[in-house]
Amino acid sequence: MDLTPRHEIEETEDVRQLIHRRRRWAILAISVLLIAAVAFVTAQGLRNATLFFRNVDEAIDQRADLGTSRFRIQGRVIPSSVQGEAGVTTFQIVHECAVAAVRHTGDPPELFESPWIPVVLEGRWVEGESKTVAGADSHYFRSDRMLVKHTNEYASANEGRVSEKPPAGFLDDCSFEVPVDSS
Amino acid sequence: MSEVATVAIGWGLTFVVIATYSFWVVRRGRTIGRELGIGEVQQSGQEQESDLSADT
Amino acid sequence: MPESMDDSKMTATPLTRVLGILGIVAGVLMAVLGLFISPPDVVQGEAVRMLYLHVPSIWIAYGSFVLTSVSSLLFLVRSRRREDGGRHYDRLAGSAAEVGVVFTGLTLITGMLWGKVTWGTYWQWDARLTTTVLLFVTYLGYLALRRLPADPIVRGRRAAVMALISFINVPIVHYSVDWWRTLHQKASLSVGRRPEITGEMYWTLLYSALTVTIVGAWLIVHRYRVIRLEEIRDEENLKMLISSRGHERPTGSAADGEVS
Repeated sequence: MDLTPRHEIEETEDVRQLIHRRRRWAILAISVLLIAAVAFVTAQGLRNATLFFRNVDEAIDQRADLGTSRFRIQGRVIPSSVQGEAGVTTFQIVHECAVAAVRHTGDPPELFESPWIPVVLEGRWVEGESKTVAGADSHYFRSDRMLVKHTNEYASANEGRVSEKPPAGFLDDCSFEVPVDSS
Repeated sequence: MSEVATVAIGWGLTFVVIATYSFWVVRRGRTIGRELGIGEVQQSGQEQESDLSADT
Repeated sequence: MPESMDDSKMTATPLTRVLGILGIVAGVLMAVLGLFISPPDVVQGEAVRMLYLHVPSIWIAYGSFVLTSVSSLLFLVRSRRREDGGRHYDRLAGSAAEVGVVFTGLTLITGMLWGKVTWGTYWQWDARLTTTVLLFVTYLGYLALRRLPADPIVRGRRAAVMALISFINVPIVHYSVDWWRTLHQKASLSVGRRPEITGEMYWTLLYSALTVTIVGAWLIVHRYRVIRLEEIRDEENLKMLISSRGHERPTGSAADGEVS
């Protein structure tokens, strides 16, 4: 770094100021960028982070309010309900004994294959007769975006196979039976 | 992208980032030290050495 | 080659050299354990190996930011009495923050890759991801503030205040998965809860955390020494500028002779 003074400098303070002035614009530019970044992130966060998804039971309770608006729904996939054909996958998701029928367009992530995997789906309620393990429903959920919400449980693949059973206690209080996948 | 490819990229990238940063830190120390002529000081006297290492 | 040997000693001492070698050996062993010996996960398969990078990285980042905060606090207390008042605390705060930023960045990168294969997306603005990127940006801002030219003590005090403000976000990041609904899973390990992770993976995770701690410590010590060197250089440059005032010869190459 060339710090040779271009002007005659009288005081120590002048020297300091000369060094400082050169870096000031760079610091200013960085600060503006950082503030913009923080503002953007905060805006994104406020919009999305506080209510990232609704669980199935809440989404059903709030169906009238939600109307045809877009939101995210979360529940565990019932393995025996999954059917796929020509880019459309239909299945049922369950949370707190509330069940929703789902019609998903697009390729599901790889881990969707895993039984009872929790998923977050993006889409909206659509009017239409549907049948679920809990009975008939007047709506189904049309989704075009699926995220797998994997848990913080880790187990060695060498020790056990993937359990076909729902997680312990998950369906204990439910009034319906879930048929076991024969495949 | 497959699982194995992701793991390979993740581990590769992590090790490269840490190695690059470590290298940068050490090299920056050398460059500034050379500018200051501290390498010579280390040979002849202990003043700078103790200044640099005893603080921690 | 006596000259290069001297150079290599620049920011190293026997202790840090041992630490450095230990870090490299531990890193190799970590790769062997994490990539080959530890088992694939029953649900995630091979993708679970990202765990050993992602989680220790953020732990070390948290640790670094704790160090930054404690040092900043001590600096604020000590710098009241002026004469070089506790500037080593300021250096420690700065070096730890930089290492923390590097590891937060690594957490974000490894997390994105991991997210792509498990969630099916690189990024979602959920509470955990949003607060983590905010953490990254605020500590980047802290590092930028440290470069803002000012009297060293004034600059150090400014930075220390910002460090303490920035730290508020650390517990928010950590507990975001409990406080809000997130796509991100809950904490892998937490006090008072049985870890839901099988033994081999658990030990590999702890070992990786130890390795990353060694590497992080090595980096912080070296960065500390480089900051000290930067300070010496800045002081020398300033002295030079002031002394050249009297000579009135605007040559830039006068540096070599005047330093020692």
